[in-house]
Amino acid sequence: MGDPISVGLGESVVSKKDGDVLVAYGLGSCVAVSMYDPQEKVCGLLHAVLPEDSIGSDTKTKYVDTGIEELLKSMEKAGAHRNHLIVRIAGGANMITSPGFSKSFDIGTRNIQAAHKTLEKLMLPLKSESVGGHMGRTVRFFVGSGQLTVRMIGGEEENL
Amino acid sequence: MKQNSSLAVEWINSFQQYASEGIRNAARGFSTMLGENLVVKEPSFRQVAIGEIPKLLGGPETEAVGIYLRAEGDMSGQIMLVIPLQRALELSDMLMDLKPGTTTELGTLERSALGEVGNLTASFFLNSLSQLTGISTRPSPPAVMVDMVGAIMDIIIATCGGTSDYVLLMQTTFVCKQRSIETSFWVVPDQHTLDILSAEA
Repeated sequence: MGDPISVGLGESVVSKKDGDVLVAYGLGSCVAVSMYDPQEKVCGLLHAVLPEDSIGSDTKTKYVDTGIEELLKSMEKAGAHRNHLIVRIAGGANMITSPGFSKSFDIGTRNIQAAHKTLEKLMLPLKSESVGGHMGRTVRFFVGSGQLTVRMIGGEEENL
Repeated sequence: MKQNSSLAVEWINSFQQYASEGIRNAARGFSTMLGENLVVKEPSFRQVAIGEIPKLLGGPETEAVGIYLRAEGDMSGQIMLVIPLQRALELSDMLMDLKPGTTTELGTLERSALGEVGNLTASFFLNSLSQLTGISTRPSPPAVMVDMVGAIMDIIIATCGGTSDYVLLMQTTFVCKQRSIETSFWVVPDQHTLDILSAEA
């Protein structure tokens, strides 16, 4: 197995190299979107921070909506077919539960909604998800097998 | 990537004076609650790329306690105290006057006590800053999180990320001589406040 490849804030990584592990560490309100073409063995992982790009940012992968579109383009460029894609999402927690903070702090929920909306628009079916709640997650995506695991603090890695 | 044009070096220097005094006062607030004197490491001020933030505190998967408050009023921003989980358990023992090693997990009571540390520290910091600048500000109630550093810091990142790729970060560490209590104190002023302070400087 190769070294883990960290997919940082506002980044996306696509790999076809068997043994690579793409990792999005410590997702709070951020959302990780994974795409996998099991026939061409192409894996891609996006780590988006905010729901929508309303300012036409240069960093498209910072946002859920434009980030998913960019990830899809990169997957297709690497040889994946959109009809084969298995899409899974994780993250979007609401880290602050104290009553003193308004709903505007719940960016996690808005990120999840933006992911659902964008995937629907692109007609990409969502296979499974581990979203919401109040705890952070680390996502590992094993290139080759397409296995995707999610771990929360104090917990074991679970397949998604 | 965008950088805040108002964050000129001269301006950061002048803000440092206010904030350094505020930090010393914050340590006094923290000490009051602990009943022991804390040492304040020299605060650092710098612009940090948002993507670098989770890497600064031992990595995004490190388990920690985050105590988050908003500063509200004419000066506004975000304040976060980050304590490594093991240190937070030790701090909880100190706050509750328990033998070291007694607290093994953070329940409602322990979280409440840690929230109060954040409340007091932030209040002392903001009071000092308010007195020095003449601009009013007050802290929100604290929110306490026990999670991975990356997930905790997402709050600051998501709040600032829409307007800037960089934040002005003031960071210091409180150290208790008798027992090792290392707490990082982060202050991230809102853009609106940076504009006001910049005009004053």
